[in-house]
Amino acid sequence: MRETVREKVSVVLVYDRAKGRAAPARLRWNGREYTVDEVGFHHAVREGRALHHVYSVTANGTFFKLDLDTETLHWTLREVSDGLPD
Amino acid sequence: MAFPTEVLAGLGLNRNAPALMHVDLNACFASVEQQANPLLRGRPVAVAAYASPGGCIVSPSVEAKRFGVKVGMTVREGRLLCPGLVVLPPDPPKYRAAHLSLRRIFRDYSPDVEPKSIDEAVIDFAGTPALKRGLVEVAREIKGRVKEDVGCWMRCSVGIGTNRFLAKLAAGLQKPNGLVTLDHANLEAAYAKLSLTDLPGINVRFEARLNAAGIHTPPEFLAASPATLRQRVFRSIAGQQWSLRLRGWEADAVVFARRTYGQNYSIGGGCGDPHELSALLMKMAEKAGRRMRRDGWACRGVHVACVFADGTHWHVGRVRDEPLYATQDVHRRAMLLFNRRPGKRVAKLSVTCYELVKTHREQLALFETRADTMARLADAADAVNDRYGEFLLTPALMLGLEEKVIDRVSFGGVRELEDACGGEPEPPDPRRDY
Repeated sequence: MRETVREKVSVVLVYDRAKGRAAPARLRWNGREYTVDEVGFHHAVREGRALHHVYSVTANGTFFKLDLDTETLHWTLREVSDGLPD
Repeated sequence: MAFPTEVLAGLGLNRNAPALMHVDLNACFASVEQQANPLLRGRPVAVAAYASPGGCIVSPSVEAKRFGVKVGMTVREGRLLCPGLVVLPPDPPKYRAAHLSLRRIFRDYSPDVEPKSIDEAVIDFAGTPALKRGLVEVAREIKGRVKEDVGCWMRCSVGIGTNRFLAKLAAGLQKPNGLVTLDHANLEAAYAKLSLTDLPGINVRFEARLNAAGIHTPPEFLAASPATLRQRVFRSIAGQQWSLRLRGWEADAVVFARRTYGQNYSIGGGCGDPHELSALLMKMAEKAGRRMRRDGWACRGVHVACVFADGTHWHVGRVRDEPLYATQDVHRRAMLLFNRRPGKRVAKLSVTCYELVKTHREQLALFETRADTMARLADAADAVNDRYGEFLLTPALMLGLEEKVIDRVSFGGVRELEDACGGEPEPPDPRRDY
């Protein structure tokens, strides 16, 4: 089941100097804290002049699509899924 | 490229070492979705234009293909074959990011990389150090880098050949995750196992023409004289090109310049409302016009085509002296043409700007015309949208069309990818330690 959402969420981003990567490590949504197990994909997209970094991650058996707006530094949850058919 | 027939007749197989590699990302859109969402890996997944039952499947995953799900099926048909099918809408920015990562990998090996579509590219290794190492070893390394840089779930099929045709054919022989070389040593054996329509570029219509000339298999096609192919089968220079292609000589190293900017849209269930159709045409004119202006062009020709709900189609195009630049002008010209259509429900609509002319907007006119004013207005609106995001400022006719004529990745070309990059350098790779 896949659900499109558009909610501000709290995210802990960790930068790993050795790997040269920054990725979400934890997020809080609906009053629950999730620890990121895997970053499946990361891509950047422009909306006008604003650059957004989009992270597709799994945490506690749930898929989250997280969007970091680099203009405002706000994190928005775009999509949630359990990976099962609708 | 034309050769005297007698030269072609004596031309044997190309015995040079293969220097071309064709890389094809397997089940591209579905694989990228599985890469992004690990919960989908190993499950049958299909990316469809729309997730509704009538939506068209554009990319089934390798797992879905095992159930018989194919490109072009409807979601309903896919679910009948595979009840557990996970259907997803397309996410073009993700696919473009994967494509750009692939390009970065390929350019580490050769400066001559030619993207053929969003999920395939041809790399020419002629004159590069990679050629000395052997292309099979380089191909294995590229496959490893695809997994490392794009994602561990990504697989690609690689074909190596002496020309683009053989490299593409080789890439299609083993799927998924294949690695095949076709050269003078195994070319004829490979042809013997294939049918004519297995050859890239030979569809059922060409097959029928070849059959009519007594050619029923690829080995017979290879053995046919260039004169037969030119005079009896293709009746054009294409016959000579096939003689070269089949023998491993290059006939396809041609890059076509952009000549049109177009947009099309399928209307589920069809539409007969003239106001809605006019609004759709406006959005299509805006999308095509914006890309055209960004590249510094105006157009003298506008072409409108539609497929009606009854399956019939209609099209008309006109070229005028006065170039069109602003969206409103393209829309007005398109509407004048569109209003001549038969009064039927429209199921598919397309608008194309052609006969392109370079704009010289920096040149100031002594007496400003309405066209100059509209052009300056279009430039100002484009600048606002560049700054704040697409469709922030739009013609009023487009209000309420936010979910229609949305972002798509087309098959068979990557022009819109260059458009999406806006001619800017490729974005930095966030995985690299700068």
